[in-house]
Amino acid sequence: MNEREKGGVPDDALIRATLAGDDGAFGELMDRYKGRAFAVAVGIVGDGDAALDVVQDSFIKAYYKLKEFRFGSNFYTWYYRLLVNQAIDRWRKSARSAEVPFDESWLSGDDSPPGAFAYPRTPEDLARNRELGDALQRALDSLPDYHRSVIVLREVDGMAYDEIAEVLGCSVGTVMSRLHYARGKLKEILKEHREG
Amino acid sequence: MDCRAALLKIEAKADGLLPREAEAGLADHLAGCPACAEECAAISATGPALRALAGIRAMEKAPALDVMRTRVLAGIEESREAHRRRSWVARWAWVPAAVALAAAAFLFYPAGTDRSPFHPSTFDVAVEDVESEAATVALVDKGDDLPRVIWIIEDAKT
Repeated sequence: MNEREKGGVPDDALIRATLAGDDGAFGELMDRYKGRAFAVAVGIVGDGDAALDVVQDSFIKAYYKLKEFRFGSNFYTWYYRLLVNQAIDRWRKSARSAEVPFDESWLSGDDSPPGAFAYPRTPEDLARNRELGDALQRALDSLPDYHRSVIVLREVDGMAYDEIAEVLGCSVGTVMSRLHYARGKLKEILKEHREG
Repeated sequence: MDCRAALLKIEAKADGLLPREAEAGLADHLAGCPACAEECAAISATGPALRALAGIRAMEKAPALDVMRTRVLAGIEESREAHRRRSWVARWAWVPAAVALAAAAFLFYPAGTDRSPFHPSTFDVAVEDVESEAATVALVDKGDDLPRVIWIIEDAKT
């Protein structure tokens, strides 16, 4: 059983009910995945409103494509493929996608006194250090979408390498190298903010 | 352990993939190497920082996320309704065409022609035909001295 289903009706049962005409069952699926879907979408498109549109459109698309779902496979990897493609399309059409080169100046600018810095671990921590949040977002924006998708699926959603490879249609080795590159960029941002 | 090997282990640790038996060796190296210790802290922080960033956006959009189910189901119902409207139009689009053809045939029906049963072996569909998704309508001209007839053929029937 998928860990996201624990304590509830299995995804497969909800899909069968949806295909039999029960829209409420699809509502249950949405409630199950909307939070994670939003976190992934916002990581890729970088904007909350755009991420909401992406999640909504991907759920509608999933509803109409549900008859193509292969029972026995994971619903969430199947759905995430739609979601990530939708998010990447949205990103490429948006103004944010205009070439954002990595800018070394993002690496400095933390006003915190030396020694007072702690890496943010919660939204509240990060909200207190808005400059770091902005720098992280810009660093994410500067990554090619295939690097951004990998690090968001791994770090934000917690997907396994093979699941990411399935969602993105690439090899596990490619996932690992993209992850290494993306993590390296973000690490530099964090280190420089720590050093002030 | 040298710094190069330590860096590989640091990334594996950040990913949760470092075997437990390798952790002690890495910890020993980090205790004596401030540069690697800093690297380890920064790499380990990328995940929580990204989750924190997503968390901030999610908090900002929590009300909209709460009604996502309603938004999506409304969107599905809307597209379903639009599909129904398109289907209805496609299904009945042939009716006005059939009426127009019937009126034309009535107006131009030749008087005093032979109305005995007609069993042609060949004839031309010469004047006009109109198709919709549901039916094909044809005005059939069987020759100079014969009345024209209207055919309405529903799809999937002959």
